[in-house]
Amino acid sequence: MVTKEITKEDVIETLKSVIDPEIGLNIVDLGLVYDVQISEEMILIIMTLTTPGCPMHGSIVDWVQRIVSMSFPNKLIDVQLVWEPRWTPDKMSEEARRQLGI
Amino acid sequence: MIQPVSVAGIYSPPFRIVSKYFIASIFSFVILNFMLLFNYHSITGHHFQPKILSINHIATLGFITMIIFGAMFQLVPVVLEVKLFSSFLAEIQFWIYSTGVILLVYKFWNFDSSLSFLFPALLLSLVMIIFSINIILSMIRVKSWNITGTYIASAIFWLLITALAGYFLSKNLDKPFIRINHLQYLNLHAITAYIGWVGMIIMGVSFKLIPMFTLSHGYKMTLAKISLVIINAGLLGANWIMHYPETGFYTKIFGSLIFIGFVLYLIQIFIIFKKRIRKKLDIGLKFSAIAFVLMGIVSVLNYSFLFFDYESIANLTIVYGILVTLGTFGMLIVGQMYKIVPFLVWYHKYGSKVGLEKVPMLKDMFNEKLAEGQLVLMLIGIILSSTGLLTKFYLLVLIGFLFLFLSSLIFAFNMFTIYRN
Repeated sequence: MVTKEITKEDVIETLKSVIDPEIGLNIVDLGLVYDVQISEEMILIIMTLTTPGCPMHGSIVDWVQRIVSMSFPNKLIDVQLVWEPRWTPDKMSEEARRQLGI
Repeated sequence: MIQPVSVAGIYSPPFRIVSKYFIASIFSFVILNFMLLFNYHSITGHHFQPKILSINHIATLGFITMIIFGAMFQLVPVVLEVKLFSSFLAEIQFWIYSTGVILLVYKFWNFDSSLSFLFPALLLSLVMIIFSINIILSMIRVKSWNITGTYIASAIFWLLITALAGYFLSKNLDKPFIRINHLQYLNLHAITAYIGWVGMIIMGVSFKLIPMFTLSHGYKMTLAKISLVIINAGLLGANWIMHYPETGFYTKIFGSLIFIGFVLYLIQIFIIFKKRIRKKLDIGLKFSAIAFVLMGIVSVLNYSFLFFDYESIANLTIVYGILVTLGTFGMLIVGQMYKIVPFLVWYHKYGSKVGLEKVPMLKDMFNEKLAEGQLVLMLIGIILSSTGLLTKFYLLVLIGFLFLFLSSLIFAFNMFTIYRN
């Protein structure tokens, strides 16, 4: 049986199901996901939050880890939260901007 | 270069501990408004009288400081990225504090001679020390300091001064041992409590929460830093000159510093609101925005007290108290509770279910329309009761307090709905 290779787009599509419960938008459209790196054994997600000291600090990392693990059970998942470069509104997608009325 | 941030070590106390403080604060808020409604005829005249002192302490200790304690245990670890030193201390502090507040409010209400002022004052002072130790020992491990941390550190200092002045007043009211002007020390106690403790905490935390909730970016925090320095300088000066006679000139100088500090703070908050990305204000932010407008009015009123005999205008100090306690701090706290409580309950109940089942959004956790009604009732209640007090039209005061009581019931109902979710 041929196993389909996991692409960056597959992971990003999965990450779209992680919603920030306060803003009501997914973390990809909010521009919080900086990079996704896929190796043979592991998926590495590098992401940020809108502000350091956000109360959802630890929880969003857990959710990302859980949801990506469920979609790609054969891979180890590593989520790295970074504050540099700082998140800015221009990282948001057009869809997110439209929903926030910008 | 991208530097990963460690999330290890970030730890808030268990939900049940913070919840106790929140529930006790909501309960106190309802009791406070109930006491106002059923004693509207007593809420007149000079502010240094038993019923008013009792109501004032259920407001400042039972409602405001109770919620601040709970919120600090939750926010200090996440805002400063450090583990709370002791959840156990946070837990036992709640029981000692609640006992102290109930006894003090009862003592003020009845002036019961069988109960000394000293016992509740001792319990409350003990709590202030326990709280300060717990937060200071948490904060000394902070790796990346920010302005919110500095505001919180200042607030802790003023909390201890407030407790000291309160204990000193209680001791002398109980068994006079030194000839002091009680009113002068009451002013000192009130200034450090309202501006130093509550004001500093609210200012510091607002610099973290308001930008986070409004998604505000691209502004400088210069005014916040200047405000912090000059308000502290003004408070230190006010505390120092309070011990000397004939201090009119210096009182005006230090009062001016505090006033300018508040003006700069409000300009900083205005800038943050102006730079927000989420243009639509939800109910929590509407409450907050109105609270900031009221803070501006209160600051001007407070400053004007330095230049005329405010006692000559009937009930002006009582109106000032209502505008500060229910208007500014009350509205801000209610607003922030509409943001924080849904999150805490949501996180506690649904955090582990994200990705496994459909979970609600935070705004779905309570009835926002009802909260809008609460906002209107609270605002009208404050306006009517203040107008009634100033014009000595006590029917208006009664109607105003009725509106405020109804608004507190809606608030309690909405909070209950969130917890029951």
